[in-house]
Amino acid sequence: MSLDERVSEDLRNRTTVDLDDIQATLLRYRPEPYFGTHLFLHINDPHGGREFLRRLAPHIGSAADWWNAADAWIAVAITYPGLVALEVPEDSLRSFPEAFQVGMAARAEKLRDYGANDPKNWDRPFGTGQIHIQVSIVSDSEDKWRRTLESARRQYQGYSGVTVLLTQDFGAQPGSLNSLGYKDSIGQPAIEGSGVEPLPGQGQPIKAGEFILGYPGEAGVPLAMPQPDVLGRNSTYVGLRKYQSRVGAFNRFLRANSQTDEERELLAAKLVGRWRSGAPLTLAPTTDDAALGEDPQRNNDFTYANDSRGRQAPLGCHMRRMNPRDTKMPVLTDVNIHRIIRRSTTYGAPYDPNAISDHDDEDARGIYFLFISAKAMSTLEFLQHEWINDGTFMNLRTERDPIVGLQEEGATFTIPKRPVRRRIHGIQTFNVLRGGEYLFMPSLSALNWLAGSNAEAVVRPAHV
Amino acid sequence: MAPQTQVKTGSQQSSDLEQKVQKLRELYADAPEIGKTALENLIRALKSGTPAKEPAARIESAGRIGRRQGKVSELTVIVPLAPGGAKRLRGFLETLHGTIGNELVDRVGTVHDMRFVFLENDTKLLFCTAYDGDWDVYIEDFATKIPDILNLQFGDTEGWPGIHSPKVKDFIVSHQITADFWYVANPSLTVVETRRLERIGNATEEFLDKISE
Repeated sequence: MSLDERVSEDLRNRTTVDLDDIQATLLRYRPEPYFGTHLFLHINDPHGGREFLRRLAPHIGSAADWWNAADAWIAVAITYPGLVALEVPEDSLRSFPEAFQVGMAARAEKLRDYGANDPKNWDRPFGTGQIHIQVSIVSDSEDKWRRTLESARRQYQGYSGVTVLLTQDFGAQPGSLNSLGYKDSIGQPAIEGSGVEPLPGQGQPIKAGEFILGYPGEAGVPLAMPQPDVLGRNSTYVGLRKYQSRVGAFNRFLRANSQTDEERELLAAKLVGRWRSGAPLTLAPTTDDAALGEDPQRNNDFTYANDSRGRQAPLGCHMRRMNPRDTKMPVLTDVNIHRIIRRSTTYGAPYDPNAISDHDDEDARGIYFLFISAKAMSTLEFLQHEWINDGTFMNLRTERDPIVGLQEEGATFTIPKRPVRRRIHGIQTFNVLRGGEYLFMPSLSALNWLAGSNAEAVVRPAHV
Repeated sequence: MAPQTQVKTGSQQSSDLEQKVQKLRELYADAPEIGKTALENLIRALKSGTPAKEPAARIESAGRIGRRQGKVSELTVIVPLAPGGAKRLRGFLETLHGTIGNELVDRVGTVHDMRFVFLENDTKLLFCTAYDGDWDVYIEDFATKIPDILNLQFGDTEGWPGIHSPKVKDFIVSHQITADFWYVANPSLTVVETRRLERIGNATEEFLDKISE
C-alpha cells in the first residue's frame, strides 16, 4: 500500500497540529535511496542574516504535504549564537532553555561527552559558537538533490550577509546502509494528531507536545516555550551529533569474537537488535530475513513480551536501549517521554566489511544524526546519561550502548543465552563524537518573524 | 567525570592530621569537660591507629543542590505546611503506606529511604530521602507515572505549584538544605544493584545447596 493510499481523507480530518506551519522534516520520513547536503552558515551581520532567511523562507518545505516524500525539501534550524546574531530581542533570548543557550559543547558533563568524545577533540567549527544556521537539503534522487541545493545556494551566493563554514554531502549509500553497514532509521515514534497513520508496532501515538512546541505533552500540559508565542508555537528543537565510525575497530571486534561468517553476522545483529537488513531479532531470532527487514508494515511490529530476558534481542542492544517498549525495567520510567524523531544521515565512504586497520578508523565516514524533540536538550541528556552510558535501567550495571556508547577500558557486552549468558570483554567505542550543536527549528511563521521586522520597525527595501 | 583521587604520602597525611587536631582543640577550648576528655581520647586513638584510607567515594554535588556520594544522593527539605495540611498528610501517608504505598515506592527503583517529620506544632514538614543519581533525572518520569501520589505528598505544602508545573524543580530547590555531613555505607550500590546482588546471593546459595547434596 502506498503512502498516498494510507493518507485517507478521514486521517486528514483528524489532524490537530498545524501541518502547514510545521517544517516538513518533522513528519517526512527520510526517503530511500536518499541524497542530501547539510550547509552550516555564519551570519556576518544582522541585516544580512535576516535578509538570507527572508529569501530562504519561501523554499522551506511545510509538513502539509508530508506524504509527498518524492519532492526534495529544504529544512532550516538556528543555534542560540545565531539568534543573538539575528538580534532577537533580549527578553525573547532569555526565554530559551539554559542548555540551548549555552550549547551542546558546554553541556559535555551532563551528556557524558568526555575522553574521546570531549568537545576539545571535535572537528571545527562544531562547538565554537561560529555555526549560526544549518540548512539541510534532502531528496530521493541525485538530480532533484542538485537542483534543490542550487536553489538554496542562490539565496546566499553573491550576498555578504552569511558565509558558508562547512558543506557536508550525505546519503547515496548502496542499499541506504549506514556507516557500520546496517539499515537504519526504523521504528520512529507515531505522533498524535499529525494525520500520519502509525505503522504496525509503533504503539499508541505519542502526544504532539513531546515533539512540537505549543501542544500538550504526555503529562497533559504544553512545555514552556520561547516567547513570543509566534516564535514558539509549531517550532521545535534539533540536536545534531556528528559521529565518526571506527569501522576497523568494529570489524576487528566482530572477527575476534566469532568463528564463522554466520556467527559474525549474528554478533553484529546482537549489538543492534536487528540484522543488517533491518529484520529485528525478536521476529527473526536465528537467521536474517531480508524481506522482513525491507517491509515497513512488519519490520517494527513486535513487543518484548516473549523476550523478557533478552535471549532474542539482548537487554543491552542498541535498539532495546533506545526504545525499551514493554521491557520490565527496575526503575520507574515512562518510555513515551524519552522518544525522539530520528533523522540519520550517513556520510563518507560506504561500509567496508574488509576494513580492519587502525587507519580505516580514521577514514572520513559516519553519521550526522539529527534528533527532533520539543525538549531535545533534556531528552538527549537523559538518554546519554541513563540509557546510553549506563546499564542500571536494564540491570546491566555499568555496561553501555554497544553502538553509540563511550566505552571505557575493559568494557563488556552481555548476550543473554541458555544455559549461561555470554559476556564479551573489550568492546570499544565504535562511533566517536566529532561535533554537535543544539538548534532551534522554527515554524514557518516563526521563520518569518525571525526574518522580518522584529528588530527593524521598518521593512527595509531589498538591495539591488 | 571520573573523580580525581589524590594520592598522599605518609608524611603529608600525618601533617594534615596534626593541623586538623590543632583546629579541633581550638574549637573545643570552651567545650564542656565531657567533650574535651572525649576529644583527647579520640585523638590518642587516631594517632596510634593505622593511617586512614582515602574514602571509597568523594562527596560531591548532586546536580543543582544536595550532596552525592558515589551513586547515592541526599535531599533534605523543610517547608511550611498549609493549615490542616499536617493532619491530612499524616492520614494520607498512614493509609497509603499501610496499603499499596510501599509497593509503589519499590517500583520507583531509585529511592533508598524517605522520612516525613512534622515540626513546630504541625506547621512545617521535614522531608528527607536518599536516592540514586542526579536529583532531577527522573522527575519527569515520576510526574507522568505517579502525579497523584506526588501531588498528595506535597500538595499541602505552602506554594506547591503542582508536579506538572515547570516551576516544580525551583520550588523544591528553594526549600532544600544541603546536609553538612552525611554518611553512606555503600556509595557504589544503587537500589537496583542491591536487589540484583540479593538475587545473585540467593541463587548462589541455592546452587551450592544443590551441588553439596
